[in-house]
Amino acid sequence: MTPSIPRRAALLGGLAVPFLANATHAQAETIRIGTLTPQTGAGGAYGPPMVKAMRAVVDEVNAAGGVLGRKIELISEDDETNPDAGVRAARKLIDVNRVVAVLGTWASAVTTAVAPLCWENKVMLFTVSGGDGITRLPHQGYIIRTQPDSNLQSDRAVAFMLGQGARKVAYLSAQTPFAVSIYERHLQDLKAGGGQAVGNVIYDASKTSFRSEVDQVLKLQPDSLFLNSYQPDLLVLLRDLFRAGYDGRRYTLGYAANDKLIAALPAEVTEGLVSYAPSPDLDSPAFKQVQTVIGANPDPYSCQTFDHISMTLLAIAKAGTASGPAIHDAVRAIGNPAGTPVTSVTEGLKLLAAGKEINYSGASGPCKFTPIGDITGCKFRFDVVQKGQSKLLQLS
Amino acid sequence: MTSYLAAMAVFAGLYALMALGLNLIWGLAGMVNLGLVGFYAIGAYTTALLCVRFGWSPVAGIATAAVVSGATGSVVAVITARLKGDYLAIVTLGFAEVVRLVASNEIWLTNGTSGISGVPGLPRAWFSPEQVNLLYAGIVWVAVGLVALLLGRLSAAPFGRVLRAIREDEMVAAVAGKRVLRFKVQTFVVGAAVLGLAGGLYAHYVGYVAPDAFQPLITIYVVLALTAGGTGTMRGAILGAVLVVALTEGTRFLGAALPDLPPVRIAALREGVIGVALILVLSFRPQGLLPETIKPERA
Repeated sequence: MTPSIPRRAALLGGLAVPFLANATHAQAETIRIGTLTPQTGAGGAYGPPMVKAMRAVVDEVNAAGGVLGRKIELISEDDETNPDAGVRAARKLIDVNRVVAVLGTWASAVTTAVAPLCWENKVMLFTVSGGDGITRLPHQGYIIRTQPDSNLQSDRAVAFMLGQGARKVAYLSAQTPFAVSIYERHLQDLKAGGGQAVGNVIYDASKTSFRSEVDQVLKLQPDSLFLNSYQPDLLVLLRDLFRAGYDGRRYTLGYAANDKLIAALPAEVTEGLVSYAPSPDLDSPAFKQVQTVIGANPDPYSCQTFDHISMTLLAIAKAGTASGPAIHDAVRAIGNPAGTPVTSVTEGLKLLAAGKEINYSGASGPCKFTPIGDITGCKFRFDVVQKGQSKLLQLS
Repeated sequence: MTSYLAAMAVFAGLYALMALGLNLIWGLAGMVNLGLVGFYAIGAYTTALLCVRFGWSPVAGIATAAVVSGATGSVVAVITARLKGDYLAIVTLGFAEVVRLVASNEIWLTNGTSGISGVPGLPRAWFSPEQVNLLYAGIVWVAVGLVALLLGRLSAAPFGRVLRAIREDEMVAAVAGKRVLRFKVQTFVVGAAVLGLAGGLYAHYVGYVAPDAFQPLITIYVVLALTAGGTGTMRGAILGAVLVVALTEGTRFLGAALPDLPPVRIAALREGVIGVALILVLSFRPQGLLPETIKPERA
């Protein structure tokens, strides 16, 4: 090969250097924290409010004097909802910006791809991804996940259904990676609670009628149906169930039974449909703070990232040093049940500075984690549709 | 900083490999293959499965990745033998989507959308993270050099001349006694093997493969790299790949220069800058930065 390629490559590399020197300038004084959220791509709708929530906490803390006498610098990167781009963005945050924590990864594939970079470089990773495999990675405690995994979600849903008197539950599931795993968990939970799961009919969500699937599932004579669907197929399914004369209980997922679905169907078709979803802690002062930043109905991810940054800052204050391993060691100590209950970061920082123990709970609920980094408890909301309106049935 | 530049060199090298593979199929033989991310995915999944499930060594895994991807290339080439131009482009694009959908749904094999993690890379215990990146960048660029050398030889050989003849006019090549289909299939196999090699190297670098990593966007980046660098030459393919990675990653530093903009605007600005830069290259150098020059035959 001719030598012109390396020379051009070197030139391009050289062009980047002034930018890079700029980026590492203020390293001595500030504590650097990275956010890695989807600003573009499939998750592009979720990233901007997530960063906004985190930025609000940082501004508040900086205005109150920072942490350990140092200002906080938040460096935000776009993962493009793509593991490939996510890895490159994380490399920049870790190698160039030298952040102590990466917050807010959303897509499970991005989180799984980025996680090894974090634990190898001893950088803490906070995520909102729900994929069950994430916390089972060999991460040595460097992953904290605020989104309940599908097992916890299933456990809570089954407990609720049993509480409502469901004993013979049949399932209609869209063909997704979760269709079988969710059913198996429900099967086990129902058995333990004195009920039974009588069958799982998996359907192709792109079909325009589910009449045969509905007949198949009603033959099992269930007293309740669990519809593991997305919104477009749930719409067709509910109509077909109504036509078939089914009048037992129907349970589904919060993201499927959204306002659009309820508006698109006649009130008698949706009457009594119960949906559930992991929920932020609607009564918490931290949640109200997120509302002032994001608007009246903040999504769960913004609430969770609000807690990511809060936990990171409190853990740094608790440990007395700003580093990945320090956050790793202290992140569970800020939820000390014997400490003073705290929902605001600035308040928590004051107490920690005074040498007191704190028990932080945030906008998404109590921030307590298992040894592998899964959240142990989280609020769930159960809504029921009555006369074409969604009503909160229970928040627990 | 060194690790970051080394990591970007790895990605530039992977794109360069893909651009080289595409250059053979499209640049020389004129077959518009928009399914390259499909072959890349097959390469990545092949070695990931062999190494994670059966404990193969990464070297054997990557070699097999190239072979499996090449074999798939032969099947695709035979199926699409009668298609040209836009029709070939659509079918190959569909092929890549089929690969991605199979990877998402055949959970027993590929673990579905959760992907396969823990693909072994360089032994982390022996090296610091910085050394791992530098070494891997070295490995990838040695692969780029070897592939460029081999494909360059192939391009200069009578074989390459036939491919160019097929690109310009298939009928003429056939009339001259060349077995067009056979040449096309051979080209597809070699090109797909290079794409599979790139996929294999990717899997062992990142340590994780999932369907989301193989979106059509990568195909677009590589086609852009080749177009900007200059179709038909190996040097153009490599330069274009370096340029695309320098542009997509260099623009991340816009954020430091504009600290007051919210990240969503910076993301939009980044996409804009990348787009404008590529439009400028293509409008002022439509033949690419390092275009193909064909020396006239001596009289």
